[in-house]
Amino acid sequence: MKTKTESKRQAIIQAAAEVFREVGFDRASMSDIRERVGGSKATLYNYFPSKEKLFFEVMHHAKEVELEAITGELNADAGDLKRELVRFGQKFLAVLYSADAIAVRRLSIAESRHSDIGRLSFEQAVAPIEKQVTEFLRRVMKREALRTADPKIAAMHLLSLLESELLQRVLLGVIDGVKPEAINGAVRRAVDVFLSGYERR
Amino acid sequence: MSKSDSKRQAILENAYRLFRAQGFDGTSMAHITSEVGGSKATLYSHFPSKEELFVECMMAALENYMSDTLKHLDASRSDPETALRNFGTSVLNFICSPEQVEVRRLMIAEAARSGTGKLFFDKIAALRSQISSFLAACMASGLLRRDDPDLAADHLGALLEAEILEPLLLHVREAAPDEEETALAARRAVAAFLRAYAPTTARMKAPAGPNAPVRRLPPHEL
Repeated sequence: MKTKTESKRQAIIQAAAEVFREVGFDRASMSDIRERVGGSKATLYNYFPSKEKLFFEVMHHAKEVELEAITGELNADAGDLKRELVRFGQKFLAVLYSADAIAVRRLSIAESRHSDIGRLSFEQAVAPIEKQVTEFLRRVMKREALRTADPKIAAMHLLSLLESELLQRVLLGVIDGVKPEAINGAVRRAVDVFLSGYERR
Repeated sequence: MSKSDSKRQAILENAYRLFRAQGFDGTSMAHITSEVGGSKATLYSHFPSKEELFVECMMAALENYMSDTLKHLDASRSDPETALRNFGTSVLNFICSPEQVEVRRLMIAEAARSGTGKLFFDKIAALRSQISSFLAACMASGLLRRDDPDLAADHLGALLEAEILEPLLLHVREAAPDEEETALAARRAVAAFLRAYAPTTARMKAPAGPNAPVRRLPPHEL
């Protein structure tokens, strides 16, 4: 097996990005991608074992890294918890509702029955983000800024509340994009409800 | 039932079965016609497109189900916690069923290609407005604090789905949750919801005024 090089890997990703953008995931084939990048099919598969993995590398990875970075910024020791959550929610939703992220999310759901995209999406994006938020809330609960509860459930409640007003509309194509002021309002309302649901009494 | 109604019913039943077995893409209007009998023109006179037929099929199932589920909301108004828990469990059992997960998946998949997603959303919105009415009544009688009942319905729905739906949609788990799991998820969701929307003495006395919640932008302003 030949040594893999980063430049070849990048060339494949670049070519795949073009093909996916032009014809969509369904109609893109590994052959199309190989033609564009040159070289043998065996080489291509040596770098990326499936079209799903390649797609993920191209589209999902960027968004996932961005979302994880935003989640990673959550500071459990922030003096103003509400402000911290609102700041997080606004940055998080702005990425989540971007055209690329919505396209990937739709595709992950649509393809989940026929490929492992759904599982990859869950394992590489949903689960790690949930875990980060869980850890954040565990620490916030520990310092008694929220009532003691299962932090994992609280994390799922928080993330779902953040998405509650707009995600369905965006995923179903009822609205095309979301303006920042709509995100800001939805986040404020979601955070208010989350905090009053989990505040200490 | 008139002849036309029974034809329509036959179309819906056959189409529902085919869509469930073969998915949206794998089912053609021709195939549906051959199952129902009659001409393609008759089929199209009832349903002008495959998208509309699909939405009708799936929403008929949803509406049948919801009319049962919504009874939970009428039954015990004096105890909103029990009513909401029973309602929530029932909703979760339904939306986590394999057919409904598949419907949602198809609607999301189709959203980019056709207007189906919008049709589906309108139906969901109509059903959600019944939940809003229940919550509005709870707000009026002081069982919940006053707020936008549509917003409260969105929040309740999100809390209910929070634990279970995503892994199903992404096919990370295949088995629908059992009654025990949905009941637990509903109990936790309703507990958080009721805490968040609990009336406080001050809030109960305060009518809409400077502290009234900021209303949401209507959809066309989003």
